[in-house]
Amino acid sequence: MLGFIKKDLLIVKRTLKTFLVIFIFYAILAYTGDLDLSFLLPFLSVLVMMSSFSYDAFNKWDSYALTLPKGRDNVVKAKYIVTLILILITSLLVILLYSIISFIKKEPIDINMILSNFVGNIIGTILVECVMYPIIFKWGIEKARIAILGIVAIFVVGLGLLISKIDKTTLNILFDYIFKFWYIFIAIIFIISLLISIKIYSQKEY
Amino acid sequence: MKNVIEVKNLTKEYKGFKLDNISFNLPVGSIMGFIGENGAGKTTTIKSLLDIIKYEGSIKLLNKENKNEALKDIGVVLDDAFFPEILNALDINSIMKGIYSNWDSKLFFQYLIDFKIPKNKPIKNLSKGMHKKLEIAVALSHHPKLLILDEPTTGLDPVARSEIIEIFQNFVVDPDCSIFISSHITSDLEHIADYIVFINEGKIILNEKCSTLLEEYGIVKCKKEEFVNIDNKDYLKVRKYRYDYELLVKNKKEFKRKYKMELIEKISLEELMVLMLKGE
Repeated sequence: MLGFIKKDLLIVKRTLKTFLVIFIFYAILAYTGDLDLSFLLPFLSVLVMMSSFSYDAFNKWDSYALTLPKGRDNVVKAKYIVTLILILITSLLVILLYSIISFIKKEPIDINMILSNFVGNIIGTILVECVMYPIIFKWGIEKARIAILGIVAIFVVGLGLLISKIDKTTLNILFDYIFKFWYIFIAIIFIISLLISIKIYSQKEY
Repeated sequence: MKNVIEVKNLTKEYKGFKLDNISFNLPVGSIMGFIGENGAGKTTTIKSLLDIIKYEGSIKLLNKENKNEALKDIGVVLDDAFFPEILNALDINSIMKGIYSNWDSKLFFQYLIDFKIPKNKPIKNLSKGMHKKLEIAVALSHHPKLLILDEPTTGLDPVARSEIIEIFQNFVVDPDCSIFISSHITSDLEHIADYIVFINEGKIILNEKCSTLLEEYGIVKCKKEEFVNIDNKDYLKVRKYRYDYELLVKNKKEFKRKYKMELIEKISLEELMVLMLKGE
């Protein structure tokens, strides 16, 4: 298992330069106040993981991985574990960036805002990636790319519509519940997605 | 004799292609060459052996029921699948240490030196030959008992090919080690294979000891008027040219004795392949 995780982390390391440029761009926008990092930074880890899937597909890594001991189980598990590691890193980056910006602008650090961004980052990223991965394992990254764009669009529009239909008090109660029990909510989605991906991959032919 | 590969009634169907009920065994300590045209079913067979695809029939590797257990002692080179190309040999070493409990970094780095493969260069910047050598080094560095190789010498120059062939020969010096190798370069197999399995359109059309093929099989070159006197049971295939005929015979000494013909030549695997496929 460790080897499969290392492989994905090494791909992340090798592609880091590109994503560092994107991160700096985000940081400048955040500093000027034009961008809410909590919304966009999670997608950095999504981009990193999609890039990792693309490299795998280009070099037919999946075929090769299946010739390694426990390849069929570990390829999937490694992707989910590396996702968690990346989410942790990007979440910490959000906190760090907000703290630096507050320091430079000599504004007080809003702990509540930082914490809500932290949770928002984790929920957003895990939701998107947990929907993405079974699709990628089923149809491959190339075909899945279009499906993912569609699903993310439906998700964002659907969520927007849903929020607009619910009155503010109910919405606040709902968000309170989500923020109170977010870890349970996210853990359930994560495990369901992982089990679906393992099931899909166990039947997959390359 | 124990078998390290036992394939029974292996069947796999795709649209327009069927791997049709094939069976063969590879005895321990041997090298089996797996030959056939493009699209004959070689890669499908190898993918079935390694559970990369689902199949009907039964496959047993290294006498183990559990394929995952067997994979620990198998080294693999696939035709076109490997690590993502942005990684380098150092990365691969670090990854493989976490996958094989018996991964031997010292041996791996020795192969890198022997094959002149740079440690830090990403795979995408390696030449085709170096790329293949790296795949072979990876396949050998956990002390496998069985190598399953799909076109391992393709893209290599003659010198590199001979180096690789020598490595394979050294590998089977250990009587517990065996190789299953598919290759288009049949001349390489002539040097190393103990058995040849020939697959065509998803069916095995020949499974023979390599020494038998090279020593007993032969090509008879004759004229049309000589050919009409030959019993069709005495040859396997005939290829008709404008003036001459070429016959593939199973026992050249027997044929020589019966027909008193002098022009019977030893056959190469390449000639055998062509005659089997193009002959009538």
